[in-house]
Amino acid sequence: MTDRTIAIDYITRVEGEGALHVTIKDKTVKDVELRIFEAPRFFEAFLRGRMYTEAPDITARICGICPVAYQMSSCNAMENALGIKVDGQLRALRRLLYCGEWIESHPLHIYLLQAPDFFALPDAIQLAKVNPEAVTKALQLKKIGNDIMTLLGGREIHPINVRVGGFYRTPTKEELMTLRPRLDTALALAEETVRLTATLKYPKVEHDYEFVALRHPDEYAMLDGEIVSNKGVKIPVTKYEDTFEEYHAPYANALQSVKKAGRTSYFVGPLARYAINRDKLTPRAAKIAKEVGLEPVVLNPYRGMIVRAVETVMAVEDAIRIIEQYKQPEKSFVEPPSKFAGGVGCGISEAPRGILYHRYRIGADGLIQEAKITPPTAQNQKRMEEDLRDLISKSLDMTDAQLTTACENSIRNYDPCISCATHFLKLNITRE
Amino acid sequence: MVIGLGNEDRGDDRCGLEALRKLKKRIGKGVQFHECLAGATSLIDLWDGADVVIVVDAVQSGKAPGTIVRIEVGSEPLSSPIGTTSTHGISLTDAVSIGQSLKRFPRKLVIYGIEATDFTLGAGLTPSVARAVDDVVNKIANEVARIAEDPQASAARGE
Repeated sequence: MTDRTIAIDYITRVEGEGALHVTIKDKTVKDVELRIFEAPRFFEAFLRGRMYTEAPDITARICGICPVAYQMSSCNAMENALGIKVDGQLRALRRLLYCGEWIESHPLHIYLLQAPDFFALPDAIQLAKVNPEAVTKALQLKKIGNDIMTLLGGREIHPINVRVGGFYRTPTKEELMTLRPRLDTALALAEETVRLTATLKYPKVEHDYEFVALRHPDEYAMLDGEIVSNKGVKIPVTKYEDTFEEYHAPYANALQSVKKAGRTSYFVGPLARYAINRDKLTPRAAKIAKEVGLEPVVLNPYRGMIVRAVETVMAVEDAIRIIEQYKQPEKSFVEPPSKFAGGVGCGISEAPRGILYHRYRIGADGLIQEAKITPPTAQNQKRMEEDLRDLISKSLDMTDAQLTTACENSIRNYDPCISCATHFLKLNITRE
Repeated sequence: MVIGLGNEDRGDDRCGLEALRKLKKRIGKGVQFHECLAGATSLIDLWDGADVVIVVDAVQSGKAPGTIVRIEVGSEPLSSPIGTTSTHGISLTDAVSIGQSLKRFPRKLVIYGIEATDFTLGAGLTPSVARAVDDVVNKIANEVARIAEDPQASAARGE
């Protein structure tokens, strides 16, 4: 009888740091524990007693990769509480800002974090040596995303130009048009990325996932929409906590999300969005997905790389459309009501890694009394563990080193933003 | 060009930004200053085509908190990781190696690292790191003055 413990103390190439602990006993996987420590929990406490208007700027600090997601979900929640609606060109500008974040985040993950796995290289440094063109493309694409965020957000990270109701200042048409020529380059680069990712050899594995994503009647959902799953969920954001709940795994500082009914896992992010919203892809994105033979619902988590690339095409195409149709609005924000009795507001949006939920209770004085933030990585955590358990149980003959690499590759499918879901995270795999 | 790297909300991780802001006040014109908050991949865009670049950042290498290290990098690969911290998957060490491979690198890169100890969210600088920020500002100001007198650097500026 041999017990084996595999400890991966440091998960490489994820956003942040993480720890995975696996215990194998008598050829059976006993425990799979992804250990996560939480930053949003700190922010939830920190937000109490602050003015509701401060939430977008404070929560943007949770993550350096997806600050726009935090701003959009918190603005949605506050506007829900205030009973105001942001529409027209202001909404279009928000979507453009969000496109910038996707264009920045997806290529970083595809080329610098995940692609080395499929070129059998240890990291992006080696990829830059053997395939400098690929890394150059990644940096070019990412830079265009950064530039959109800088122009609209005031700076490339932790944008400071977003406020409840809209923006502090809207750009002129001429300012936005300065981005236009480079977006043609970005579109070509994004399409090349789809073709490249579609040629890679992926492990053959599929899971019967429950995909959860937003759905909007007019567009590939990003800013808002109904919460929909491929297994029957269809609810407004106000019912989120009736349908999903978080529980505390004793080995992690993070909360894990499950569906309340059956306490089952679910999967948020690009694979889920594509499964739910494929018919809403922009024309070039839909065309290239078809060209490379991307299946209508992708159940192989490794092929999420291709979906990310298709979403990058969609985001670039949509950015072009928004810029071309833009007319600078007269007012840069929707005025909040002069009298506010206080109340509860919920908001949700599609961060690059999946749905990000915020709920706030605000007093009549405008101060936040309670805040709840559920990041996408916390929602995916249980599903990540299930994928790992399946992978490990089929790979018991691997050496520890091989198994460590395989587990890291699997975790990277989820593009976990562990700096969102956590503070510092170490990855540990252990065989007893 | 001087670049300060870090996260303002993570305790000692902000020391690079603090140093940069102090230097900006002290040196003023003639030098470009950049705050780099968006992860190390942005560094490649910033330093691409530059002549001499000084980067200041927090490091963790096991030395006493506040210890200052100076590393000069040319076209040769780094002999060991710099030990800078990052929550973005790509560290300063990675950015140096990738920049070198892509030939998007300055003629000379000087990295000043301050040994950091506390990365608590929302915390300020620890006292030893705060003192080191003042020391590093003096060192960099002196180095910038020396670079200004360096004929090779002047030639690169077209003087």
